[in-house]
Amino acid sequence: MMNRAKLWLAALAAGAAFGVASAASIDLGRIFDIGKDVATAATGVTEQEEIGIGREVAGRLLGAAPLVADPELQAYVNRVGRWVALQTERPDLPWHFGVIDSPAVNAFAAPGGYVLVTRGLYEMLDNEAQLAGVLGHEIGHIVRRHHITVMQKSAVVSAGARLAQRDNRSAFLNNLIGTGAEVFARGLDKSSEYEADQIGIVLAARAGYAAFGLIEVLHKLAARGASDESLALLFKTHPSPGERLTQVGDAVAPRVAELPSGKEPGIRQVSGEVPPPAAAKPLPAKGARALREEEAGAVPTVRPGQKGGIGIDPGGVLRGIFGR
Amino acid sequence: MNRLLTAFLPALAAAMFAGLPATAAEQVTVERESRVHAEPRHDAPQVAVAKPGTVAEVLGKSGVWLNVKAPDATGWVFSFNVRFTPKASAAAGEPAAGGGGSALGRLFGPRRSVSVTSTIGIRGLEEEDLKQARFDGEQMRQLAEYAASKEAAEERARSSGLAPVKVDYLDAKSQ
Repeated sequence: MMNRAKLWLAALAAGAAFGVASAASIDLGRIFDIGKDVATAATGVTEQEEIGIGREVAGRLLGAAPLVADPELQAYVNRVGRWVALQTERPDLPWHFGVIDSPAVNAFAAPGGYVLVTRGLYEMLDNEAQLAGVLGHEIGHIVRRHHITVMQKSAVVSAGARLAQRDNRSAFLNNLIGTGAEVFARGLDKSSEYEADQIGIVLAARAGYAAFGLIEVLHKLAARGASDESLALLFKTHPSPGERLTQVGDAVAPRVAELPSGKEPGIRQVSGEVPPPAAAKPLPAKGARALREEEAGAVPTVRPGQKGGIGIDPGGVLRGIFGR
Repeated sequence: MNRLLTAFLPALAAAMFAGLPATAAEQVTVERESRVHAEPRHDAPQVAVAKPGTVAEVLGKSGVWLNVKAPDATGWVFSFNVRFTPKASAAAGEPAAGGGGSALGRLFGPRRSVSVTSTIGIRGLEEEDLKQARFDGEQMRQLAEYAASKEAAEERARSSGLAPVKVDYLDAKSQ
């Protein structure tokens, strides 16, 4: 691969020397080895690199919203999540699951096995089958490498820069993460969300749960509607829950009779000793805009233990059921 | 006797109605034209066709099917084809569908009380918060501590009565 990259560089140099417009003919498919099949879509990034990218963006998300201080809850979610992930073709990724302390209703997946659900979403869930469905959706994004694929697509813009970075993997990966964030902020790729919804249903069923927990959650979200502030990011970055219900309904209809009924065990509650999410703020009478104006003038606070990192947008890199 | 009854019945009726709002049935609106089946199966006899916009009362659920009572018929509809009507109480600060007291919550399972008093007006983790977020190494260390081994996950599933089932992916990309 490296040799091929060098060949391309040489070809570029030769093209430049002879005044040929070689840059226009850069074959990104060959640079990344894209196009052979779904699994090799991520070939430009090794599994270890995928995990490294995921670790970086998950760490940044935890910088924005830390884990809920309930070790038993976190251990529980990890056992449920790992059990669902074991039903996939990537059971041995270093899977990590967590509930983060935010009243927003959202869930995030980062490459390589990181899944984070907000407390706002967790507290909406009625049973473990619904949790399995939500986690299954996120796991679906990771198993199908949706984030990596989108990052690579977005890489077209800076193909020349990336080519020059082939010898410097760290710069290459940072560039990939950064570029990917720009793409996600534009809200592309509805089809990945619909695909992850279908996977969430199947993985919950494979794990022995009632298959349609995720659908029940989508119904809840649809009923809450776009005017709910806690759903702001979700509605901005995803197809509406109603659209998702329609899409997944069409995919499920022919197969619904084959799906086992499955179990709906109770879900573990957040410990009563944990205070409500720190970020929860009732809106002032003037509404959300007034709150934002109020905060714009305030001195930014830094959470204890928060450390420095690279200033890219983890929300842009993370993919979620309800946010990215 | 009759006088006693006439005095008593309105009081009884009032008492009954007073109890109704708390247990009022969840409503759905039909989103796409839907067959109403006699049983919760696509191949069950069709008893009616529900037109988009039809409002129906939810009587129960079975898997992905809802038992509904529409003005013209009662039967089972494919839940993907309907949307739940937000509760009017949402405007008063009660969570619409996610809240503990909602009929949707009751329908989809036993519900606990939640500490969130109002979902309207709560914000957090918006795009701007995420843009400014910085890597937190201590939180990542904790996250790693909570990770479950394959064996721990399998053991926990067994003890919860969960057994793996073979199900193909819906898009036939199964591996």
